Amino acid sequence: MRKAFVVSAALLLVAFAVQFVFAAVGAFTKPGGDGAYALHSANGMAVIPVLTVLTALFAALAKAPGRLVGLAILPLGLVVVQALLAMLANGSTDAAGVSTVLGLTIGGLHAINGIVAVHVVVGVLRGARRLGAPAPVGDIRAAVREQEPA
Amino acid sequence: MTTGSLLVADLVLAVLTTAGWLGGGAAAAARRRPLALGLATLALLATLGRALTVIALARAGWWFAAEKVLIAAPLSLAAVIVAGLRLLRAAGDIRSAAVPLLFAGYAVSGALLVTILHGYPASASTGLLAVAGIGTATAVTWRFLDARPSRTVSRAATVVTVAALLAGTGLAVAPDTATAVPHDHGYPQIRTTDEPTRRFTLTAGTATVNVGGRDVAAWAFNAQVPGPELTATVGDVVEVTLRNRDIGRGVTLHWHGYDVPNSQDGVPGVTQAAVLPGQEFVYRFRADQAGTYWYHTHAVSDVGVRMGLYGVLVVRPGPTTGLDVTVPVHTLAGRPLPAARVERVEAGVPVRLRLINTDNTTHRYALAGTAFQVAAIDGFDLRGPTPLADTAVLIPAGGRYDLVFTAQATPVALFVDGRVVWSTGQVSTATGGWPVLDPLTYGVPAPAPWTGFDREFTLVLDRGLDLHGLLPRYAHTVNGAADPDIPRQVVHRGDVVRFTIVNRSQTVHPWHLHGHHVLVLSRTGSPAIGSPLWLDSFDVRPGEVWEVAFRADNPGMWANHCHNLGHADAGMTLHLMYS
Repeated sequence: MRKAFVVSAALLLVAFAVQFVFAAVGAFTKPGGDGAYALHSANGMAVIPVLTVLTALFAALAKAPGRLVGLAILPLGLVVVQALLAMLANGSTDAAGVSTVLGLTIGGLHAINGIVAVHVVVGVLRGARRLGAPAPVGDIRAAVREQEPA
Repeated sequence: MTTGSLLVADLVLAVLTTAGWLGGGAAAAARRRPLALGLATLALLATLGRALTVIALARAGWWFAAEKVLIAAPLSLAAVIVAGLRLLRAAGDIRSAAVPLLFAGYAVSGALLVTILHGYPASASTGLLAVAGIGTATAVTWRFLDARPSRTVSRAATVVTVAALLAGTGLAVAPDTATAVPHDHGYPQIRTTDEPTRRFTLTAGTATVNVGGRDVAAWAFNAQVPGPELTATVGDVVEVTLRNRDIGRGVTLHWHGYDVPNSQDGVPGVTQAAVLPGQEFVYRFRADQAGTYWYHTHAVSDVGVRMGLYGVLVVRPGPTTGLDVTVPVHTLAGRPLPAARVERVEAGVPVRLRLINTDNTTHRYALAGTAFQVAAIDGFDLRGPTPLADTAVLIPAGGRYDLVFTAQATPVALFVDGRVVWSTGQVSTATGGWPVLDPLTYGVPAPAPWTGFDREFTLVLDRGLDLHGLLPRYAHTVNGAADPDIPRQVVHRGDVVRFTIVNRSQTVHPWHLHGHHVLVLSRTGSPAIGSPLWLDSFDVRPGEVWEVAFRADNPGMWANHCHNLGHADAGMTLHLMYS
């Protein structure tokens, strides 16, 4: 199960990397249009959520610490926020459909939220690999401390 | 604050509440006491803010607030009570507050998902399914955090979750009797038998056309984009033979805004079968309405129109006097059409510019260098139009405005979204800051042709998850359903019908009813006080509520849909039928 957790977290990280590639594909497709971001949407709304749920599931089955399971499920929330930000950014136009400063600001948050999500996934992958590897002494001590009441 | 921005603010606050409770729960689980308390405070403040936005939305109209009042409010209250009571007894290990805080997070996320994935109308099944999801997530959390509650609490939670799941699923899959309208397979046959006086042939096929100096692949009528301009004079009988050379997915002709008999309306699967490669269909109708219209394919309409299967239909009341210019604006392969045109016009010549928006989104038109009048909208003359200057007009997808003016010695230019499309010489006016004409206050009013309404329908436009097809999709919905599951609207011949169209979504929906022009009564509570507006295409912006009415005088089965054709494809289409 630990191996499955590592593999799934790695795949999730790849999906996130590819997501940035697809964003670039959308941005540089000429002429642009709704279709330009089709790959980005499909990857973001289908592949990434499914992989996130799988990763969290494997984390739980691998008896990972609660913090790591929580971290593994976090991208799901960030993805929902990501979709909402994209929708609001697209919706924040003036009456003639021209972007507004507010819309572009929200669009900027979409990028920042994406960077945050990647960092979370990197953290999940690190945690998953540490879980799979034989634990060094310091980690055991840390794990023990976590069980103690404060 | 407009209702549109209230909807956005409410959504943002809902996300903040969710993030606050969930983050607070996670922080508590990690024994980060100050962080947990800070995030919980954020959630509380956001919940208070939401109380204000939800009340404001309910005052703007129940449609905007229904599920927020009936589902989100109780769940948010449960969140505040459970998490708040635990935090008030905050002595001891903060970790013991993790489950109550996470429960609060699950409760408000459940409510948020109901708004995003289902929206209007609030249904018992979605509320119950949300409760079941919240119960399950809480139970999993108990297990994970090794914080099992007392046996009574645990049993009660299990019973509530299972009961909510069963009842919610049961209600969701229960057959909906409202949609059970029989589908007849015959197509209407009645059309004029008069001898045609104007004959045209349109052959649809793939073509390569030149746009702005570049060859692009298109679908075209008679190998040109736009297709040939069809003109007629009132009284003509128009006959158009449509042939399909090689458009594999089929074509039809829909006379946008022209209230033809149902059999000639060109909606595949409703008024005729799509014309497949090698086939033909003959349309014939009497040209009895003067004005500016257009035609386009209604088979795979989103792709078909975007690829170029459209053209202009102009019906004139008599011989043309002066200059008559049609400006069908379109975006083909990302490039704007038509190409800029310069025309020499002698001073004193009356000019009519027929502006047509054939795209999926609104365009902004600005006529610089002259005063002008808006003589007609959607083919219908306005009553008492006054001269306008330095004023832009916004034309919805599918809509048409006729601008008239008398040419002067100085040049005049028409800008579309800042690009010169037609001019009589060099004009360098910045039109971007011009105010926009509100047609609801333009011209001279006239008494309504009726006093009461025989039938009323409300259409609430939103987005939602549609699980009825082969694959789940995030559809554009009407009253919570997507095509083909939206109940048909049934009217009797002669009824005066009122539509209330409400946009709960974050995007503009240009509404288009086939076969009829609707009279605008009011927009978001402000009555139309200008010239009677008989429209076939009008933009319902986020948060707006339009009231329109029409007399049911053209029997048949009519499409009634959003003219952002991508939205129509994604579910926002229903039908009006005569019983």
